[in-house]
Amino acid sequence: MKTATPLTIETRLYNGISIVPEPATLMFSGPMASVISRSTASQYPVTKLRVSPRIGTADRFVSLPDGIQLQCADGPLLDRLPQEGRTEGLVAWLEHRWWVALFSLMVTVMALLAGYFAGLPVAAEKISARIPIEYEKSLGEESLAWMDQRKLFMPSDLPSETQGLLEGSFRELHQGLSMDAHYRLEFRRAPAIGPNAFALPGGIIVITDEMILKTGSPGEALAVLAHEIGHVEQRHVMRHVLQNSVVATVAATLTGDASSLSLAVSGLPVLLAQAKYSREFEAEADEFAFALLRQNNISPGLFADLMERLSEGRGEKRQSWSFLSSHPVTASRVMRARQAARE
Amino acid sequence: MNDKNPTLVPADLRSSGSTTVNSNPASPPSQPGLTLQFTGSAGEYFRIWIVNLCLTLFTLGIFSAWAKVRKKRYFYSHTLLDGTPFQYLGQPIPILKGRLIAAMLFGVWYTATHYVTSLLPFVLIAAFILAPWVMVRAAAFNARYSAFRNMTFSFAGTYTSAAKVMYGWAILALVSLGMAFSWWQQRLKKYIVDQTSYGGVNGEFSATGGQFFKTYFIAGLLFAIAMIAAFMLLSIGTAAGGENSFMVAWVVGIYAIYIMAYAYIQARITNLVWNNTQLGPLRFKSSIGVRSLLRLYLTNALAILATAGLLIPWATMRTLKYRADHLSVIATEGLHEFRGSEDGSVRAVGAEVGDFFDFDMSI
Repeated sequence: MKTATPLTIETRLYNGISIVPEPATLMFSGPMASVISRSTASQYPVTKLRVSPRIGTADRFVSLPDGIQLQCADGPLLDRLPQEGRTEGLVAWLEHRWWVALFSLMVTVMALLAGYFAGLPVAAEKISARIPIEYEKSLGEESLAWMDQRKLFMPSDLPSETQGLLEGSFRELHQGLSMDAHYRLEFRRAPAIGPNAFALPGGIIVITDEMILKTGSPGEALAVLAHEIGHVEQRHVMRHVLQNSVVATVAATLTGDASSLSLAVSGLPVLLAQAKYSREFEAEADEFAFALLRQNNISPGLFADLMERLSEGRGEKRQSWSFLSSHPVTASRVMRARQAARE
Repeated sequence: MNDKNPTLVPADLRSSGSTTVNSNPASPPSQPGLTLQFTGSAGEYFRIWIVNLCLTLFTLGIFSAWAKVRKKRYFYSHTLLDGTPFQYLGQPIPILKGRLIAAMLFGVWYTATHYVTSLLPFVLIAAFILAPWVMVRAAAFNARYSAFRNMTFSFAGTYTSAAKVMYGWAILALVSLGMAFSWWQQRLKKYIVDQTSYGGVNGEFSATGGQFFKTYFIAGLLFAIAMIAAFMLLSIGTAAGGENSFMVAWVVGIYAIYIMAYAYIQARITNLVWNNTQLGPLRFKSSIGVRSLLRLYLTNALAILATAGLLIPWATMRTLKYRADHLSVIATEGLHEFRGSEDGSVRAVGAEVGDFFDFDMSI
């Protein structure tokens, strides 16, 4: 049989039995390939050969049908042989090019920014609106029971008349809202936590005795409750869970390689990214509260008064650290509330 | 062929430029080294990293299994022992299956620890039952899909033997209030090494629990001293009235102490494990220094933070090169003890990929 000069590749042959390699020459022309080493000379149909995927500039392996492997330097000749995996060849082609890498980098950065600032919050809002709040109920009960068990929450010392009065105005406040049927107000004493109020999953709102003692009027207590109602109406619990888990997952994917220091490297950026979402939820709940209060003829200024009183004891954190905080700076919340009171 | 020849490469291959077999000049001539090199480059790996990352993001994570194969392939292919690269043979679909299962398990775990705490006892029991299985699967997958010179590694551990090692010694560690932790660690490492084989030769692990204890004890001691010093500084600082900035400095300090302890344990335990591992005629010498490892970690972390992650591939390559540079392989006699077999050949692996229970649990 006459053919053109055969193409040859110098290789090292591993027969799978001995660990010692043998030098061998792979030649192919037309439909047949032959492998010639000092100890063997065999022929194979070219279609039965398989070349391992290209990766960087590393040597590649040609597998022969009888289990022998040939190691050889990467080169264009190998592209003429049947490949082991088709998709990997395409990916290898992409990986080989700097312009593809730079394009990927650009697209990745843009996608991450767009996803973080716009896509994720919007998607979380849309998705949470479709999940009935009933699903959160058991979660809320669990959290409340957990706080009670740990003695973080203790039974309230407030007289039942005070509780009854507040409950009445609370009911009036959330009447007609979309989550109306799901609200429940709980009073707890919480010496370990201090003056605070929480919107738990499923519409359970907890207000601490310490918070009520700080209020100068029932209106101020209602201002706080309006803020928590804002969290419930806008499904912040669900959105918080969705957004934070996506942020954590993406961060883990990005830094997965540097696993020895993965947490050390990604921990702080993830916290910052999540804190920004948290501040946005707070601001959103504030805005909701101001509108709700005005509808009920309560001045949003009361919210400002209470916030100021609460911050007196603490000494507000410096403005420069605000990006670390889960809540917006008090001064700006107060300012916004006073502005809303004038509107 | 000369059986006394301790290198793996016959004379006629040695002349070819790509394979150099130096006797390691540092070791005595009676124990010639096989060269171990890592030839990955940051630029090349950067492209692989970003292209695969981009594809992973735009397929909502599905491509991550393919990306893992590409990256592992890169690491293996650029690690050369005696001129021959290692081969990674894992396939994306089993890895994807493993990741889906892992994601599900993690979801259940996260829900139970964060939201539905009443489920926690059941989840803990399930985790307790599953842990040895996960360990065995991960080790088996890693071994079976790692090959060198057309022979795969293999792992012979079983669920019951793994459970015995994991829990027999874990219970002791609990009972002794952590004193036996070192012995537990030693048993786990020994289990993995002893059950791993290559070319019909089993690994042998000879480090003792006492050696592990020494490392952990010193690390614990240094950590405790550093923490006490940090707390004393904190009380002085608060007494002096320094506030936020002092707190931040303190947090950074604690962070630094943590990283130091981490580097110390990593360096010492890695050395201990390698230096007491033998694979037939092969012995290993790992010489990672605590200070140089710490320097590597810190410069990596700073570079990554300063470039918002762009230097992650560079850090990865540096770390792998550092590891290869600090590990030498010594052949005490000829290597003909390693013999391949039919079921250990690279070809046998591919045929099994369709197996439903074949998946990668090593994240």
